[in-house]
Amino acid sequence: MEADAAALIGAGLAYGLAAIGPGVGIGIVVGNAVQAMVRQPEMAGQVRTTMFLGIAFTEALALFGLLLFFILFGAGG
Amino acid sequence: MSPDLLILAASEEKSGLFLILPDPAELVWGAVSFVVIVFLIWKFAMPALDRTLEARRSAVVSQLEEAEQAKGAAERLRDTRQQELDQAAQEADRILDAARSDAESLRQEAVDRAAAEAAQITERARAEAANEHARVREEARREITVISLDIAEKVVGSQIDSSAHQTLVDDYIRELERETAE
Amino acid sequence: MRFPIVAQVVEVPSDVNVLFDWPDVLPLGINRVVLLMFLATAATFLFLYLPVRKARVVPTKMGVVVESLVDFVRNGIARDTIGSQSAKYEWLLIPMFFWILFLNLFEVTPLINFPVTSRMAIPAFLAVLVWVVFVFVGLRKHGLSYIKNSLIPPGVPKALLILVIPIELISTFLIRPISLAVRLFANMIAGHIMLTVFFLTSASYFVLEPKAVAFVIPLAFAIVITGFEIFVAVLQAFIFTLLTAVYIESSIHVEH
Repeated sequence: MEADAAALIGAGLAYGLAAIGPGVGIGIVVGNAVQAMVRQPEMAGQVRTTMFLGIAFTEALALFGLLLFFILFGAGG
Repeated sequence: MSPDLLILAASEEKSGLFLILPDPAELVWGAVSFVVIVFLIWKFAMPALDRTLEARRSAVVSQLEEAEQAKGAAERLRDTRQQELDQAAQEADRILDAARSDAESLRQEAVDRAAAEAAQITERARAEAANEHARVREEARREITVISLDIAEKVVGSQIDSSAHQTLVDDYIRELERETAE
Repeated sequence: MRFPIVAQVVEVPSDVNVLFDWPDVLPLGINRVVLLMFLATAATFLFLYLPVRKARVVPTKMGVVVESLVDFVRNGIARDTIGSQSAKYEWLLIPMFFWILFLNLFEVTPLINFPVTSRMAIPAFLAVLVWVVFVFVGLRKHGLSYIKNSLIPPGVPKALLILVIPIELISTFLIRPISLAVRLFANMIAGHIMLTVFFLTSASYFVLEPKAVAFVIPLAFAIVITGFEIFVAVLQAFIFTLLTAVYIESSIHVEH
C-alpha cells in the first residue's frame, strides 16, 4: 500500500511540477507573440503560426509530465 | 488496489506504461487506415477537387474569351454603325449642298430672268418713247408746216406752192435742230 | 471509489485498468477504437470527396469549405513552411491533416464522444511515419552528410562536440517523433478526461439531487470545455501537420 501511495503522490507531483515550467514558458511565448503582433500587425499571421509552434514545443514538456502521471497512476491505481 | 491485482500487474509487468503504449492491433489497423485514406484521397478526392478547380478556371477563361469576343463584336458593330452614320452625314451634306446649289441656281435664274425682263421692259418703253417722240415730232412738224403755210398764206395772201413751202419749213426746222443739238 | 459521487450513479470498476481494456468486437483485434478508426477514415474521405464529386463551376457551401481547407493545408501549411517543393509532400500532409482532424473531432461528436487519437496507436504510427519521411528526405537530399550536418551545428567549438552531438542526436531523432506523438495523444486524452469528469459529475448530481441544481455548474464547465476542445482538436491537427512540414523543411535545408 505504501508503494501505491507513493506512486499516486508521485503522479500528482509529476504532473504538477511538470506543468510549472511550460506554464511560464507558454506565458512568455504568447506574451511576446502578442507584443510582436501589436508592433507589426501586418505580420500577425506569421507570428501566430510561429506562436503556435512555440506553444507546441513548450507544451510538450507538460504533456510528458501528464504521461508520467498516467504511468504512475496506472502503477499505483 | 487489491493485492491479487497488484500481483497480477507485477507478474504481467503491467505497469502504468501500458496506458500510453499503443495497442498492437490498433497500430496495425491505424496504419492500414492511413494507407487507405491516403489512397482514397489521392485516387478520388484530390482529382475531383482538381477537376472542380480546373472546371472553374476554364469557365472563367472561356467567359473571359466570350467577353472578349462580345467586346470585339460590339466594336465591329460600333464601327459599322459609325461608318453608316458617317455615310449618312455625308449623304445629308451632299443633298444639302445639291439643294443649296439648286436653290442658288434657281435664284440666279430668277434674278437673271427678272433682270432680262426688266431690261426688255425698259427697252420696250424706251422704244415706245422714241417712237412716240418721233411720231409727235413728225406730227408737230406736219402741223407746224400746215400752220406755217396757213400763216404764210395769210401773210403772203397768196397761194404758194405747197411743196416749195414745205422745203422752206424743213430747212428752218433742220436749222433749229442743229442749233439745239449744239 | 475514487469518484464517490459518480460511483453512486455509474458503475465504476474496481480497477482503473479495466477502463483501458478494450474487448474485441470482431476478430483480428478489431475493437471499438478500430471501428471508430474506420469510421473516421470513411468520414474523412466522404468529407473531402462528396462536395467536389461533380466538377461544379459554382461550388456548394461544403465545396467551399473543402476547397478552402485543402488550400489552407496546401498553401498555409505546406508551401509557407517547405517552400517551392511543397507539392512533393502533399501526399502526406493533406490526408494527415484531415484524418487527424476527424479522429480528434470524434471527441466532441455526440454519441461517439471518444477521440481515437487519445489512444497511442495512431499518434505513434504517424510519428514514426513522419520520422521515416524526414530522415529519408534528408538522406536522399544530402546523403550521409545529412546526419553529420544535423548532429553538428555550425560554429560549435570542437571541445563541445562531445556534449552537443548526443544532445542533437536525442533532440532530432528521438525527441522529435516522441514529442510529436505525445503532444497529440496527451492533448486529446486530457481533453477527453476533462469532458468525462465534468459530464459525469453533472449527470451524477442530476440523478442524485435534481432539485439542488448543483449539476448546472459542472454542466456549464463541460459546455465551455466542449467548445475549447473543438478548438484543441483543430489546433492539434494543425500543429501535427505543421510540425511535420517543419521537420521535412529542416531535412531539406539542413545546412543552417
